[in-house]
Amino acid sequence: MTGIALRPSREPLSDSGRRQLARRRARLSSAAWFLSPFVVLVALWAVLVPALDVSPRTFPSLASVWAVFTSGVTDGSLWTQVFASLARVGAGTGLAIAIGVPFGILMGISRGVSGFFSPLLRFSVALAGIAWIPLATLWLGYGTGAVVFIVFNAVFFAVVYTTMLGVRQISTSLLRAARSLGAGPGRMFVEIYLPGAAPSIVTGLRMGMGFAWRGLIAAEIIATSSGLGYTLFLARQYYETDVIILMMITIGVLWLLMDRFLLAPLERRTVERWGARRQVGT
Amino acid sequence: MSLLSVENLNQVYTDAYTHEEMTAVGNVSFDIPEGQFISLIGPSGCGKTTVLNIVAGFIRASGGSVMLAGKPISGPGPDRGVVFQDFALFPWKSVEANIAFGLKMRGVDKAERKRRAREVIELVGLSGFEAKYPHELSGGMRQRVGVARVLATEPTMMLMDEPFASIDAQTRRVLQQEVLRIWEQERPTVLFVTHDVDEAIFMSDRVIVLSSRPSAVQADIEIPIPRPRTWSDVYADPAFVRIRRELMAMLGVDDDEKGS
Ligand SMILES: Nc1ncnc2c1ncn2[C@@H]1O[C@H](COP(=O)(O)OP(=O)(O)OP(=O)(O)O)[C@@H](O)[C@H]1O
Ligand SMILES: [Mg+2]
Repeated sequence: MTGIALRPSREPLSDSGRRQLARRRARLSSAAWFLSPFVVLVALWAVLVPALDVSPRTFPSLASVWAVFTSGVTDGSLWTQVFASLARVGAGTGLAIAIGVPFGILMGISRGVSGFFSPLLRFSVALAGIAWIPLATLWLGYGTGAVVFIVFNAVFFAVVYTTMLGVRQISTSLLRAARSLGAGPGRMFVEIYLPGAAPSIVTGLRMGMGFAWRGLIAAEIIATSSGLGYTLFLARQYYETDVIILMMITIGVLWLLMDRFLLAPLERRTVERWGARRQVGT
Repeated sequence: MSLLSVENLNQVYTDAYTHEEMTAVGNVSFDIPEGQFISLIGPSGCGKTTVLNIVAGFIRASGGSVMLAGKPISGPGPDRGVVFQDFALFPWKSVEANIAFGLKMRGVDKAERKRRAREVIELVGLSGFEAKYPHELSGGMRQRVGVARVLATEPTMMLMDEPFASIDAQTRRVLQQEVLRIWEQERPTVLFVTHDVDEAIFMSDRVIVLSSRPSAVQADIEIPIPRPRTWSDVYADPAFVRIRRELMAMLGVDDDEKGS
């Protein structure tokens, strides 16, 4: 890194090489910026809890949380909970995409369909997530089914809505071009509407999964006997603040990892590949 | 025998907010014999795009009839290839996939699609760009893809609505000559909309002039300039100079100005 700063500006460096270096440097510094508040928080925690002699019933020490973490990793129990939660998110999200995208496309194509469902959709968005937990447990019982339903619910409404908007943003001339080249309804769906709405769909997916992640924790607290949310809540009964804090950290970190390494790159890549649309459309 | 016959075409638009009716196309009739290159010109807003969109099947006419090879038009179809002013390329498809799209829709197998696409790519001078995406191309190259995409399906008619309007003047001249060169090889029937008088004369066998709204055919002029044409020859051709003056006068454009 330092060598680059010292390089005389006139020295030839290939364009792509320079861009790559700049990108790597930008990425490192953004990662550093991203982590810095957490570092400060952990440092404060390490210093303040012993210094103020906080009772472990109120807030755990860094060391005790670390101990719970390492034992959870070695005996595998932490992974079991993480996996249980991720599997539910995966199932609910998969279902929501499978049903939400086609439905959203239909809403985008047909004014009639969107006119009919729009009020319902808007009404449901306000409720999406934990408000459904009571009904979900009544319908599907206490268990994975209810939690998956909550995740599904959160992702579904976000995806339907953004898919619809994405379809509506496809330019008229693009639709006309496809039709005049002989694309029937089925082909239009696969070749035009789906890829045309893709950047918007991915944005909706990212947003929906944010809701879903929160809904998941709440649903697990109420409806199941496994997963991060359940473990978090169970610990409260035994005043295990170290477990509570570890679960909270795990929930937050998992979301950050998922968002940063799965959803954000996915969104960036689709939008980049499609970036042309803005130029082509002018 | 005329391939396309437009008779008493009439188009009334209703304003979406005021619900006022406005007659864009009053009464337009013309025929295009097979293999002819026809330009449609006229003042802005006179309904050139409207006529083209009706022929393409994108909009339904309020009145009159449009027959292609003796059959009424009932929607868009691959027998009429459309080249758009904004190119309308699929941004998520490579140059080759864009060009092969029509063949894919027709169920042509992959190997044959590739072969035909390569052929057309060669024809429009895009060799080496097969794997590029539209946003990686210049405006001129994008419109080459637009033209190639239509040529690949060998339509009976090509419809072009100001295809070169958003391309810089120099590239436009090159593309006009290129399209003529290709046209001379394949001889599709062409309906070409433009507001550029020079372009209309240079490209066409016939120029049809529409009057201002509500439009009717104001003039229908044969262009007796021999083909193959190049810009340097055409500029010096006395017929070009004469027809240009005539058309400029008709459109009410000042003659000492170069047609825009
Ligand atoms: N969908 C529509 N709804 C209402 N009015 C329309 C619609 N499309 C076109 N018009 C009106 O019809 C008239 C003719 O439009 P059209 O686009 O066919 O003209 P044009 O000759 O192609 O013009 P230009 O040279 O500017 O491209 C214009 O006054 C336009 O405002
Ligand atoms: Mg127009």
